[in-house]
Amino acid sequence: MTANSQKVIEATHLVKIYRRGSEEIPAVNDISLSIQAGEFVSFVGPSGSGKTTLINILGCLDNPTSGKLVLAGRTVVENGAALSEAKLTKIRREIFGYIFQKFYLIPTLTVIENVMLPFTFYEKPGAKKEVERILNLMEIDHRKDHLPGQISGGEMQRVAIARALVNRPQIVLADEPTGNLDTRRSQEIGILLQQLNQQEGLTIILVTHNPALARMAHRTVELKDGKIYSPVYTQDGQA
Amino acid sequence: MIKILKVAYKNLLRKKTRSGLTIIGIGLAAWVLVSLLGFNKGYESSLNRDIDNLGFQMIVTAKGCPYEAATLMLKGGTGLRYMPGSITEQIAKEPEVEAVTSMLMQAVFDPNKGESGGYSAYLGVDPATFPQMKSFLEFKQGAWFTDPDAMEAVLGYEAAELEQREVGDLLLIADKEVAVKVVGILKRTGTQDDGTIFLPLRSVQKIFGAKDELTGVGIKVKKEADMPQFEEKMYKLPDVQVVSLSQVKQTIMTLVSTAKVMVFSIALIAILISVVGVINTILMSVMERFQEIGILKSMGATAWDVFTLIWVETLILCISGGMIGATLALATAKLTEVLVRQLLPYAPSGGLVQIDLSLIALTLGVVILIGLLSGVYPSWKAGRVRPLDAIRSQVE
Amino acid sequence: MLEIMIMKRLHFIFLVAGFFLIPVEQLFGAVGCDLNDPDRDVARLFPGSTGFKTEYVAIDQKGGPELLAQIEDRLGDTFKGLFETINVPYTLYEVFKGREKIGYIHGVNEKGQYGGIQVFLVLDLEGVIKSFYFQKLTSRYGKQLRDQKFGEQFVGLTLKDFYNYDVNSGKAIGPSGVENIKNPVPEAEPDFRAALRGTKKNLILVDEFILGNKYLAYHQSRGERNP
Repeated sequence: MTANSQKVIEATHLVKIYRRGSEEIPAVNDISLSIQAGEFVSFVGPSGSGKTTLINILGCLDNPTSGKLVLAGRTVVENGAALSEAKLTKIRREIFGYIFQKFYLIPTLTVIENVMLPFTFYEKPGAKKEVERILNLMEIDHRKDHLPGQISGGEMQRVAIARALVNRPQIVLADEPTGNLDTRRSQEIGILLQQLNQQEGLTIILVTHNPALARMAHRTVELKDGKIYSPVYTQDGQA
Repeated sequence: MIKILKVAYKNLLRKKTRSGLTIIGIGLAAWVLVSLLGFNKGYESSLNRDIDNLGFQMIVTAKGCPYEAATLMLKGGTGLRYMPGSITEQIAKEPEVEAVTSMLMQAVFDPNKGESGGYSAYLGVDPATFPQMKSFLEFKQGAWFTDPDAMEAVLGYEAAELEQREVGDLLLIADKEVAVKVVGILKRTGTQDDGTIFLPLRSVQKIFGAKDELTGVGIKVKKEADMPQFEEKMYKLPDVQVVSLSQVKQTIMTLVSTAKVMVFSIALIAILISVVGVINTILMSVMERFQEIGILKSMGATAWDVFTLIWVETLILCISGGMIGATLALATAKLTEVLVRQLLPYAPSGGLVQIDLSLIALTLGVVILIGLLSGVYPSWKAGRVRPLDAIRSQVE
Repeated sequence: MLEIMIMKRLHFIFLVAGFFLIPVEQLFGAVGCDLNDPDRDVARLFPGSTGFKTEYVAIDQKGGPELLAQIEDRLGDTFKGLFETINVPYTLYEVFKGREKIGYIHGVNEKGQYGGIQVFLVLDLEGVIKSFYFQKLTSRYGKQLRDQKFGEQFVGLTLKDFYNYDVNSGKAIGPSGVENIKNPVPEAEPDFRAALRGTKKNLILVDEFILGNKYLAYHQSRGERNP
């Protein structure tokens, strides 16, 4: 419930400018924020407000045009100069787990094979045990030998989440995770994220259009035109 | 690495038809390649065998003498030059020589032959030495003459058939008004012996008034002998020329190699086409999986990991195609041989298409190389995909 | 030295050419009996013709052993030796004037005393001999046998005439136009007999393959009359 005081993400004066012909569009226009370890933060705002661009930058999927980003005490970006792709890959692998609107499961691999997929690219001791644990946690171990085409949408998203969690990330980035799901399943996913935050101590960054889902976070940050419009206080009263 | 193999293999199963067609394309190219290499090998070894079956490895003839029936007939039966009989003894003394046999070729103009007459050639051979040199010659009827002065003849199968001669019949030597008795008819050999009329050497010398004269000496060289050195020695004999049959083989092979170059070019084109097919297939599948590749990157796959994954997919396609092609080639080897015999003007007897394990291994090696090369571009493209490309396209 | 090199080269070429040229006749299969130069020979043998069609037949294709037995029965002799076999190909030339068929030319191989004989017959549409021609004849008496006067003796004869000629004894066994064919040289008796046997065989084959066994009835009825 309480977030501990260690800052896991610290962003200073982040700017991201897109060029369209001769026009320059600032998708992120000077945003500074910090996120504590164990926090559940949701980002809301209308389309084009820059929320996806922002969490892409926070999640090391994109480089800002300028600004500074520090992750778990390590400077990742300074003045638009990021670390090498290889180093970024390592950071993504060790720190982040990503959940997207589209599930991106490989249709010819079974559920358990999909979840194990990250370990195809690097060895980790105890990986098998972790996979089993996560399947259990996501309540999909009874479907482990099914193909994605044989399970429901809600189950598919659980598989995707399981895959994101299997390498024990510190931070989970969820970009519209319930966009393709109905109300009931969306709520299930929301509860699941809460549980992961509370029981596993995961830091969760959520982008969503769904107000009910947004409210499940500790705090909600509202974006508009690439800037933070208003931080919305929730349970802990922290900005 | 095993897991990447499984992922790659399962990725190919996502578009079964496309993967299948690509494999067939490679299979066809591999089939052509294996058949071709098999033909190359088979032809050469059959040719070797045919040449070996000539009996002697070297012929010594008088300088300027056409010692072959065909040449003789081409030259209108003229131009014969002779060597003295003593040359045989001289050659026999050489340490490299295993056996020698004297020969005398003569021709007559036969007005009854063909339309307005033609030349008939007769080869005088020594019954004591010639049959041993050509011990693989088999008889359909009868046997070799034994008496060196007999007025007898042994006919090659085609020569007998042309004249409808059988053992016991008479054969008229035109212009000399001499009739010899047919004592043997050889089975078909597929060589020029089929068209040859053999008589005892001394009989030919007598009939044609060429006492103690020879047109050729056939030499069988000992296995351990130094051929080039022995050839040099023979060149030094006065007024003779030496024909080494290994050089004849070279000439034939040169003639055939022109045809081979053409067919290899076709195989190369087939391979190039299949390479393009592979690149296209893999590239298409990479384009379709852009987002997915982006997600893989977000999972911690490096550019090299993605490159390897796509590369392995390419290799699987190529190796599958290669194995299918090799199997096809083995299965159709006989048919290929029939086709080749129709096309080539001269084909040696025996198996023309020889496909063995080393050949298949070589072709698979080539196919794997093709796979590695053609996979490079699509794999590199896949490796360059950024995770963001996947997410951005999601937003759009 | 250069001369030797050149000669060597020439000889390689000739030796190599030898592989290609020999055998000059067919490489595989039994030897048949074609005209040496069909375009020229058909025009010469059949004056007035404008064209011809060539057909290849063999006894094993057309009827197998039963057909061979029938032919041998008509011939009055069996097919003998290495080269008179069931699979020998025969070349039949159908001769045309414009679109109209005007006759046939057919040749057979026959064994002569000193070599092979090729007997060609030029026939009209009824199977009557219009002309006789030795395309090949190896004989001491070739000159006399090839003489026009010899061939003229065959003109006008049909298979009916040859039925009463016994090829084994060389004698007529009934009334036969063959009796009028005389041997110009007594020493050439074997080749003379071969020419007659070849002619009879030729006519039988033409009857079987082209004329639809027009003359078979005569042979069968002969069998009843001469048991």
